[in-house]
Amino acid sequence: MSESTLSNTDQSQRTTRRTFLRYIAGGTALSLANALLVACGGSTTPTAAPASTTQAATTTNSPAAGTASAGAIDIDKAKKEGVVQLYTSLDTQIVDSVIKPFKDKYGIDVQYYRAGSAQVTGKVLQEADAGKIQADMVDASDVGAFLELKRRGILTPYQAVVGSAMNQFVAADLRDPDGTWIADRLTQVVIQYNTDLIKTPPQHWKDLTDQQYNGKLAFFGSSAGDSAPRLYTLAKAFGYELLESYAALKPLRVDTPQLVTQALEKGERAATFNMNDNIAQRSKLQGKPTAYLFPDEGVPTEPGAAGLIKNAAHPNAAALFFDWWMGAEGQKILVEGGKYSSRTDLEPPKENPPLKSLKTLILDYAEYQANRPEILQRMAKIFGGEWGV
Amino acid sequence: MRAETPFNQPQIADESRRKFSIEQAIPNLVLGGAVLFLLGIVGYPLIWLLLGALGLPKTFTAAPLLRVFTETRNLTPLKNSLILAVGTSLLSVLLGVPLAWATARTDMPLRRVIHALVALAFILPPYLTALAWIILLGPNAGHFNRLLRWIFGFSEGPLNIFSMGGVILVIALHVFAFTYLLTHSALQSLDAPLEESAQVLGASRATIMRRITLPLVAPAVTGGALLAGVDSLALFGPQALLGSPAQISFLPTRIYSVLGSYPPRYADASALSLILVLLTVIGLTIQRNYLERQSFITVSGRGIRTRVVPLGRWKWPLFLFCALVVILAAIAPLMVLLLAAFSKVWTSPLTPDNFTITNFHAALISNQISTRAILNSFKLAIGAATLGTILGLLIAYIDQRTNLRGRRVCDYLAILPLGLPGTVMAVGLIQAFIRPPIQLYGTIWILLVAYIARHIPLAVRSASGALRQIDPSLEEAARITNASWLQSIRLILAPLIRSSLVVAWLLIFIPSLGELSATILLYANGSETISVALFRLNDLGQLEVVAALAVFTITVILVTSLLLQWLTTRRGSQITDQIQVT
Repeated sequence: MSESTLSNTDQSQRTTRRTFLRYIAGGTALSLANALLVACGGSTTPTAAPASTTQAATTTNSPAAGTASAGAIDIDKAKKEGVVQLYTSLDTQIVDSVIKPFKDKYGIDVQYYRAGSAQVTGKVLQEADAGKIQADMVDASDVGAFLELKRRGILTPYQAVVGSAMNQFVAADLRDPDGTWIADRLTQVVIQYNTDLIKTPPQHWKDLTDQQYNGKLAFFGSSAGDSAPRLYTLAKAFGYELLESYAALKPLRVDTPQLVTQALEKGERAATFNMNDNIAQRSKLQGKPTAYLFPDEGVPTEPGAAGLIKNAAHPNAAALFFDWWMGAEGQKILVEGGKYSSRTDLEPPKENPPLKSLKTLILDYAEYQANRPEILQRMAKIFGGEWGV
Repeated sequence: MRAETPFNQPQIADESRRKFSIEQAIPNLVLGGAVLFLLGIVGYPLIWLLLGALGLPKTFTAAPLLRVFTETRNLTPLKNSLILAVGTSLLSVLLGVPLAWATARTDMPLRRVIHALVALAFILPPYLTALAWIILLGPNAGHFNRLLRWIFGFSEGPLNIFSMGGVILVIALHVFAFTYLLTHSALQSLDAPLEESAQVLGASRATIMRRITLPLVAPAVTGGALLAGVDSLALFGPQALLGSPAQISFLPTRIYSVLGSYPPRYADASALSLILVLLTVIGLTIQRNYLERQSFITVSGRGIRTRVVPLGRWKWPLFLFCALVVILAAIAPLMVLLLAAFSKVWTSPLTPDNFTITNFHAALISNQISTRAILNSFKLAIGAATLGTILGLLIAYIDQRTNLRGRRVCDYLAILPLGLPGTVMAVGLIQAFIRPPIQLYGTIWILLVAYIARHIPLAVRSASGALRQIDPSLEEAARITNASWLQSIRLILAPLIRSSLVVAWLLIFIPSLGELSATILLYANGSETISVALFRLNDLGQLEVVAALAVFTITVILVTSLLLQWLTTRRGSQITDQIQVT
């Protein structure tokens, strides 16, 4: 457990050989499936994006997105493809607002499938099993999921098509050294409460274990185990006892942070120990009777990441959108929607402190991914119900 | 399956037999096609469910099956599902039978209104009812709980919808319609002379009820309760919405979790699914054996006349009971959704300041997924209802009018989907149709297949129940007078069971329009349905828009049902005229 780094060099070196073999195996299976698909005439999928050098040579115009890096993207081809299929776990209000100016600018539509991180990942893996991934680009706030997608050989390095200019704005431990995924946002887990029901606001994670919160708590925890990484982060920092104390208070469990806020807004529950900063911010800005805080002792930070799917049906449009999504313009819209950008050159969202002033807790996702089944089982044992295991 | 002499043909002169040799092939072709289609959409996915449970095609192991019976995380959902099924069955009898009797056989006021409201309760997608019940009975903020606290001064609660009791109540208020509808039609088709002769012989009202009426409708009651219980197992929506917040998991929510997360664990999902298949087969075998000991031909060539029981002073108490049931099952949830749909903020009272129609604009015009979803759902529901009704009639016909070998298998196959929660159906369909020869995964066609397969039991049961009450001698009479097979079905059978076919069509159309549990695992970008849009919008906390879309959907379903009913009544009388002319 480290406080500010995603570094996993030890881990990755140890597992390199195995990972490599798995990668080969996964890749082979995938290409076999694709070959079969093409043989059956069931696919119009273009072949994999060619090496960036050849493509760069033929490119005439370059997108004016914030990274100023995407010299390699063929905009004409992108427009011809006309659409991007995005699988995302981000709040759709934010997704909509990022898509709109992109669509206005290029005339390329972005259709999205939105679900929780684990579900988005599960969907991509299922489609991979079917030999036909519908998504062109995937975004989920679970870096562990991206390690798995990478291991399965499902991602294509974005650097090859979009360029690596965006890398300079994103810390090295927030992106894949091989360039298959890059963090696009950082979600802080905050305490949120109903201001009508709570007169003396809680300050610390421990405060919510008080008996007065018996039957008064809610938390985000979908049946696919979407919220396990952040709860594990809390457990690693403050001990599993903290989670056990929460569980003893019979918290109401709902599928999304949005539903937690809803439960707090209508007074169904008084407080939550598991809420996204952006959803809490929106609720407060909308004048709902809620408030939120970043506990001093540390807040779990959950990086969301994005990657491009290998052999996607709309590789150029997806690359263009990826560039837009990660560019300063797209990221600014994310920030306006309440998200902290992964880019160091952007301000924090309205009313929220700069990340530097917070004690952020970030998981070692390689470790999380390696022990995920056991962690999920432990969550199931503590809280009961389904955790996707 | 051999099709040589598939049905009990009346003796026909040699001459005419030769003349109609092509015509005689038609029934075999039609029935054979139906069997093949059924095998493809139910049998084939079920085979993949079996193979999947053994870890195939990747490995071959019994471990997933063993895990179902050895691990607490699998045993607990199994136990919870059993409690749910038994609970809803019993509750469906307690709610459904008194209502059916009251509306079918008594002089209770507003019988037709009560009848219509039960239908409405069945129409409301149960996950929407569940949402409404959260608003009504949320442990702290629920309207009804706040009212109780205000009256009685409780400090909290007192009722908690997020509990086993809550799940059973909300689901029973939906599935009791099965028990009600079957009992109601059985009571209505009882010929009055049966009871009257008992009365003439001096039997008391209670004795008639006990010795004549109840035994005659008992199969309908048990059949209904069984359907209710088995269907409750499959209702993923309310189980997820009301059970999950309290950490109560059922088999479908367990399967959804196992398959919904990453990596998708087909083997475990398949193994858990098989347990549900097993439960269904057990349930159906019991029902079948019970049914076979009775004779049910209570409808003959003559018209029937039912006897009305005067209630006297019990009129109003019975009415109050019936009214309460339909208020809880239909009116209250609908009102809550209506209020939310027209509110800016659904938690506040609907004052002029809070009134808005922008939610409808969002649901029907501005939200892309929602508008696409509406179109998709209509295409799918109409397609599934039409194909499903035809298939249902043919399967029921094979079972009861032919001696085709393996017809029992066919019948079981057509009933099995009832025990497959949509989630389970999806598990089988995914595994069957993600690989050659038929790749449907990721297209809208897999949803059409899912809807037909999932709802075929309702169509078969409807047609089957009706056929069982029609004496084959009526069709035989037509065949003897040289009517072709198709004519005998079209002119004799179809008109006689017309109302059952309409019911079957509606029984498929209505749930298809709002099907959630299979859809949520099978839909892809572009094939979103109304239920997906509703579920996803609700996930994002946009309850006002959800309510607007729900109100729209329910309105459409209501209008469709009424229109359809009106049309068929009209066309029905024309057909009767035709028959009389001939």
